[in-house]
Amino acid sequence: MARDGSVMRESRKRASVMSKSSAGGFSSTALFALSTALVLQLVAGDGKTLVLLDNPNIRDTHSIFFRSLADRGFDLTFKTADDSSLSLIKYGQFLYDHLIIFSPSVEDFGGNINVETITAFIDGGGNVLVAASSDIGDPLRELGSECGIEFDEEKTAVIDHHNYDVSDPGEHTLIVADPENLLKAPTIVGKPTEKPILFKGVGMVADPDNPLVLDILTGSSTSYSYFPDRPITQYPHAVGKNTLLIAGLQARNNARVVFSGSLHFFSDAFFNSPVQKAIPGSKRFPQTGNQELAEALSRWVFKEAGVLRVGVVTHHPVGESTPPAAYTITDLVEYSIVIEMLSEGRWVPFDGDDIQLEFVRIDPFIRTYLKKNGGKYSVQFKLPDVYGVFQFKVDYNRLGYTHLYSSTQVSVRPLQHTQYERFIPSAYPYYASVFSMMAGLFVFSVVFLHMKEKEKSD
Amino acid sequence: MALLRLVSILVFALALGAQALTPTHHLVSSDVDRLQAVLSQPFTDLKSAYLSIVGLSKLGVSVADSEDACRFIKANLEPSSVESLFYAAEASQALSSCEIHVSNETRDLLHAAVSEDSTVSQIHQAVSALSSLGLPLASQEVVSALKARISKEDSVMGTTLALQTASRLSQQAELGDILEDIEDLANRLDDLGGVYLQFEDGLEATALFVSAAYALSDHVDIEPPLKDQVIQLVNSIFSKKSWDSLSEAFSVASAAAALANNRFHKPVIVSTVGPPTVSHSQPILGLQVTDVLCQPLNTAVVEVETVTTVAKTQFLGKTPFTLKDGIFELNFMATSPKPASGYYQFSVAVSGDSRFVANKVELKVKVSTKVSIKNMDLSVVDKDQSIGTKTTRVDYPTKAKASFIADSHQNFAMTFQLVDETTGEELTPHQTFVRLHNQKTGQEVVFVAEPDNKKLYKFELDTAERKTEFDSISGTYALYLMVGDATLENPVLWNMADVVLKFPDEEIPTTVQSKNLYVPKQEIQHLFREPEKRPPTVLSNTFTALVLSPFLLLLILWFKLGANISNFSFSPSSVLFHIGHAAMLGLMYVYWTHLNMFQTLKYLAIIGSLTFLAGNRMLAQKAVKRHERK
Repeated sequence: MARDGSVMRESRKRASVMSKSSAGGFSSTALFALSTALVLQLVAGDGKTLVLLDNPNIRDTHSIFFRSLADRGFDLTFKTADDSSLSLIKYGQFLYDHLIIFSPSVEDFGGNINVETITAFIDGGGNVLVAASSDIGDPLRELGSECGIEFDEEKTAVIDHHNYDVSDPGEHTLIVADPENLLKAPTIVGKPTEKPILFKGVGMVADPDNPLVLDILTGSSTSYSYFPDRPITQYPHAVGKNTLLIAGLQARNNARVVFSGSLHFFSDAFFNSPVQKAIPGSKRFPQTGNQELAEALSRWVFKEAGVLRVGVVTHHPVGESTPPAAYTITDLVEYSIVIEMLSEGRWVPFDGDDIQLEFVRIDPFIRTYLKKNGGKYSVQFKLPDVYGVFQFKVDYNRLGYTHLYSSTQVSVRPLQHTQYERFIPSAYPYYASVFSMMAGLFVFSVVFLHMKEKEKSD
Repeated sequence: MALLRLVSILVFALALGAQALTPTHHLVSSDVDRLQAVLSQPFTDLKSAYLSIVGLSKLGVSVADSEDACRFIKANLEPSSVESLFYAAEASQALSSCEIHVSNETRDLLHAAVSEDSTVSQIHQAVSALSSLGLPLASQEVVSALKARISKEDSVMGTTLALQTASRLSQQAELGDILEDIEDLANRLDDLGGVYLQFEDGLEATALFVSAAYALSDHVDIEPPLKDQVIQLVNSIFSKKSWDSLSEAFSVASAAAALANNRFHKPVIVSTVGPPTVSHSQPILGLQVTDVLCQPLNTAVVEVETVTTVAKTQFLGKTPFTLKDGIFELNFMATSPKPASGYYQFSVAVSGDSRFVANKVELKVKVSTKVSIKNMDLSVVDKDQSIGTKTTRVDYPTKAKASFIADSHQNFAMTFQLVDETTGEELTPHQTFVRLHNQKTGQEVVFVAEPDNKKLYKFELDTAERKTEFDSISGTYALYLMVGDATLENPVLWNMADVVLKFPDEEIPTTVQSKNLYVPKQEIQHLFREPEKRPPTVLSNTFTALVLSPFLLLLILWFKLGANISNFSFSPSSVLFHIGHAAMLGLMYVYWTHLNMFQTLKYLAIIGSLTFLAGNRMLAQKAVKRHERK
């Protein structure tokens, strides 16, 4: 553990020095500071991770996974799930940034951990990785329901008579999952690979009313979840592609949770095992894709991948360099924003082509794409001919990335009276009458004052 | 703590009573190869050389280049360090032809290390070095030094080293006290779920303890009190399959060697060759019986004690396995009566050596078969049964030529039978699902087909009732039958036909709201207000001319009347007044085009006051002039 500690200190520097904002306007600076503070809080954690195990031996049977975490700088604390000294929150402070629950069969957590504290932990921004198995206990099922994931009953397993491994011990529950059943999101599942994934465990289904649940790995059409040793008497909990093998969730506060139906999925044995479907003629792979997937998942769930933050936000009329106190309607405005992504512990410019800017007064008046321009994203556009208090809003929510939100408030006022059109052709008679009257007054006053009347005698 | 231990022993005893424990974790031959690869790393220092050479020798392998290894040991040996001498002496002994010659001072150094002032580790190293170098040592002194140190240090690692040391001493020495430490240490093992037994200190401590305990027991020829624990120890030592360090790999190799070759307990690993399945085409159940290092135990006698079915009835009595090419075989399908498909519980006993531990193994063996689908009839039935139904028979694996059309007043029905291909018996597999897949939307709906009591499968799809499951989307669905069971060799996924389902149109989902939060939203362009339409300029120009005409008329009439400004005198006041007056009128124009009211009032105040003064002065002058004229 001493070695892990030293690596950890390195990664504490992750919260790299922020570039100072040069954005004008009080509101934009304040908002910027607020949003960056929020992002900083998310990544500045020192990776303290609590690992709950069914028994200490899991540390040995899953050593490759834990070693890869320790090598990446996580400070792992191993405890058995029924340890009476367990505690996640102390004096209102979270003791850990991340939680790994590798204790599927736990019936009651020890200490003061229970489903409520874990949900509070997630609500507070903590990340959780849960691995279940066919011996799933009630607390994990409850935790799943809290997160929009319904686990099947205890003693059930995902069964697939068409896609099981040659080394299956006999119940067709050692499933070979095709990589095409993975979610198409490289930030979550890593680079696309051909290697199939070995899975043995319990199935899940997603709550259809929860749009935040991500189907990270689904079963094939022929898979289902049921008791392997009982005839099917009722409709199985999960059937076909609805069967979730691995599910994820990014809550609205950017806390991430991953549920795997299989604890074996993370084991050394599955990482190193060859894999081949039992159907004749299928290809043999010398190694499973489990290790790559587990690593990618852990990178995502523990906020090493797919973390975005807002940098400097600037806006000003085209041709000027500072924002005015208030914009006038139909001004041509330039807006730019710096967006950065966490990559290997450092913030690097983010590369995306679908970032949108909204100009909002209750409803968006304008929604347009931002173009990448050097290290920042910018766009020029004409303000609408409506006045009021508006916001420049960047609300970037993409699969696998943290929710990026930046809003900058500005006011837009109507034209000043000198800014209207002065000489409208249709109104020329009015102007002419006024000016002729003014000229008449002048000429009349000159003539009236200085006319020399003819002598009456003449 | 004592209570806890008592409880754990009790639990352990209960677990033993409940079932004969068999190793759940063991090394397979690829693991042994990997272990060997870990140990075959190039040497970095003397310690790594020791761990590699001795570790490999425990696995029964010698170092690739023993002369080179010997040279490395000699080059790195420091004669003044007990530790270095220990590593060199042990490694050289494991190599066949590598002798290390030591001076008298070195010998004295080693002898001096054996005292009550040294740690157990130092005593262990000194004694091992002396014994490996073939030098004499006073066993009784070592024993007393060890006893004194053990009572002081009282750690698992220290006691383990003491056991290891004792195994190098003369058998005449009083080793009884140290031998008892095996039991003491065994009591300190933590029981994890009745499966694992290990020290809190970790895998290395557990593995080294096992190796030391058996080394000493073999040495004094007294059975260690570990018979009940050995399987759990095997589980915890071999559960980790990727070793972090050389020393961890070394400890696992030592423990494996000790468990494979000792005089008392020899755990037996019984595994099936391939999956535990027999069928008509593959009737032979093959068993591999090995020790923990995957060496086959060909002298063993393997026989079935009983075979029971899932329903707990005995199916087969004592039957021997025959040895063939290192594999113990049994033709299970040759028994009479022939086993039906399903699971069978085998109790297998391995005998032939009194040292065997875990020699009663429970195996779950599957008898698998092939399924064939018979009498597949598809039909579309009117709900009011007014029209006689026409059924279509489809044979596996062909697809029905015409597609079936079912609207909301009709049911789509299907009946079929599943039979064993060889015996012709009816089967009820675990999975008999009917899947309807809409190729256009990718939507799939799965139903479960259930057998009646004659084992005839019937499936009926009530189109009107089930419309919610299809989201009321009419269209062509591909109809699949999925049959699968763990005891079926040929799972079936059969695309039988296309079915066109027609749902009532009134409930077309109007709001197809995008559920996906993660896509870009639609772009919005602001629609600017269009300028109002204006009247033609000809009209305004005409009126402009009309409006200007009175001024012209004034000028013309004045000209006719003879208006003049002859009285104008170029006095500063009158010039200033008129300029000021013009400027005020000009200011009005500028106000209209550029200025705001406050700016205008400011300028007006300046110009106005000047003009006022100048005007006053001018009028005064004019009045004086008029007065003079009169």
